[in-house]
Amino acid sequence: MTVKPIISVQNVTKRFGRFTALDNVSIDVMPGEIFAILGPSGCGKSTLLRIIAGLEAPTEGCILLDDADITAMPANKRPINMVFQSYAVFPQMSVAKNVAYGLKVQRMPRSQIDQAVAQALAQVHLTEFRDRMPNQLSGGQRQRVALARALVKRPRVLLLDEPLSALDAKLRDAMRLELVHLQEQVGVSFVIVTHDQSEAMAIADRIAVLNDGRLCQVDSPEGLYQRPVDGFVADFIGRINLFEIKALKRDSGKVIVSSTEAGDVVIAASQAPDGIAADGLVMAIRPEKITVSLTAPITDGGTVVQGTLGDIAFQGESSIVEINLPCGAALSAFLHDSDCAPLRQAAAGANVWCHWNSGDVLVLARSAV
Amino acid sequence: MHKSREKPEPFHYHRKLSLQLFFIATIVFLYLPIIVLVIFSFNDSRRGGNIIWRGFTFDYYEKALNNAGLIEAFANSITIAVISTIFSVILGALTAVLLWRFRFSFKPLFEGMVSLPIVIPEICMGVSLAVFFGYFGLWAPPGTPWPFNLANIIIAHITFSFPFAAMVIRTRLATFNRETEEAAKDLGATEFEVFRDILLPHMKPGLIAGALLAFTLSLDDFVVTFFTSAPNAVTFPVKVYSMVRFSVTPEINAASTVLIILTVILTAFAMRFQSFRETSK
Repeated sequence: MTVKPIISVQNVTKRFGRFTALDNVSIDVMPGEIFAILGPSGCGKSTLLRIIAGLEAPTEGCILLDDADITAMPANKRPINMVFQSYAVFPQMSVAKNVAYGLKVQRMPRSQIDQAVAQALAQVHLTEFRDRMPNQLSGGQRQRVALARALVKRPRVLLLDEPLSALDAKLRDAMRLELVHLQEQVGVSFVIVTHDQSEAMAIADRIAVLNDGRLCQVDSPEGLYQRPVDGFVADFIGRINLFEIKALKRDSGKVIVSSTEAGDVVIAASQAPDGIAADGLVMAIRPEKITVSLTAPITDGGTVVQGTLGDIAFQGESSIVEINLPCGAALSAFLHDSDCAPLRQAAAGANVWCHWNSGDVLVLARSAV
Repeated sequence: MHKSREKPEPFHYHRKLSLQLFFIATIVFLYLPIIVLVIFSFNDSRRGGNIIWRGFTFDYYEKALNNAGLIEAFANSITIAVISTIFSVILGALTAVLLWRFRFSFKPLFEGMVSLPIVIPEICMGVSLAVFFGYFGLWAPPGTPWPFNLANIIIAHITFSFPFAAMVIRTRLATFNRETEEAAKDLGATEFEVFRDILLPHMKPGLIAGALLAFTLSLDDFVVTFFTSAPNAVTFPVKVYSMVRFSVTPEINAASTVLIILTVILTAFAMRFQSFRETSK
């Protein structure tokens, strides 16, 4: 590896009294990338961001910036800036004064400040709003102020805490793209904290998945989707069907996996973890890998499961179809509109057959950490 | 007729006659005595009593102005109010920030002790302060130069008015977004700059409201002042009280009217300043 990480979080643990918010977390953020920290609420992702910003001190471990230890450096000295979840725009200052504030406290000459502020406001398309007060701005505009205010400091790394969660759906999509463009324009690394996996998948180069203060996996969006390390990550990233595994049998390069829901499934040995203990293992299949038909499919291998048709959720170009299995569990399949048309004609409760290829089955630990 | 008997909609209750009468009665009871006081300050009545209109005159304003004792008491009151307001706001702001910001042992006890002067009967406070000053020999001896002869009263006024200021300022602090403080720090501001640029501007309306409250509390206090004032240091309310004991003359009305006008101007100014801030925010 020739590229050195810009931020290196090394074995960071954070305890609040007896509660452990972060447990031995290590991540590297590379120069110029969008790095997402993803996890359910309360997993410690915001705490991690605040530790990188210097607003919180780790109980153990250290933070490196360009190989230099900055763990003890206070927030106001770090060349790292943050966009807060509430945007934290200063209510008593105009837009221009908000953006200028960070430069003013570092005693930059007035003429340079004016120039930098004008440039930053142009970057976020707020030039004509420079004299407005924050209470005259919409939520999206306030966020742009917070962005400009942080970027004008030319930070080495920009931290964003749930940047899109407070915006409405339409604005969120637009802002997603704009964040990516902005990052390409300024070139600094973005570290984005989010609980929304689709948001992380859409904008991040790499994603760290956190659960209960522990790091589950760091990978590219595709990597997380195709090769999740455990059931938690598989379930958190996109939709997935998970089955409990009751037994595991190895037989000359093949593994026979038994589950109540899908019966026995034969897969290649490389698809299953070593060993024959079925304890704590789950079988996973993505909804889009499943085909559903009203007649028994003619197949050469793979798995066929019979069930009855449940609800169909129409989503435009595709639909999510629920199939109720005899054992009581439900299976979701993701079908394109053309494949779904005959199913929509059929009555609910009609017999259907689900089929998937053995190669699409994932066998995972329920939780790896 | 039929229509008016229908149940009024929520925002139309002000159209009900009974409520209108109730409102008018409230206004009359609140302001009529004050209006009468102001009108009779122009009454040309020679003797006390001051209840029969005998013609218009400015004489009593002139008389009040020439009453050295009254003017001195008035000046004392203003001086005491200004000084005790300054100290009350500073102490109140410090207390409010302490209670809002920090956690420490016995905090509920401390909080209760700070707000005790708000609920304690004024007469008890007056007596206890008088005893306190007497016991420790803190009475200013006769001949102490002005304004040091007012020290006792000022200390007493600070004691009962700073908890009010603290309460008002703390209410304001509760609406502070802590993330703006962190954002300022994140942008490179020092602890002092965060206080000066972020926290203080947010506290400002609270500081003004607290100051106004402390000022009016001090200006019109009688009970505590009565117990803590020496014969050579008399405030306006105490002076008026002693004058009324001889006779109610239009002179007192005139002096009171001046005080009312002063208070109204001050309040209007403070309210205007606050509303100006609200719109510019």
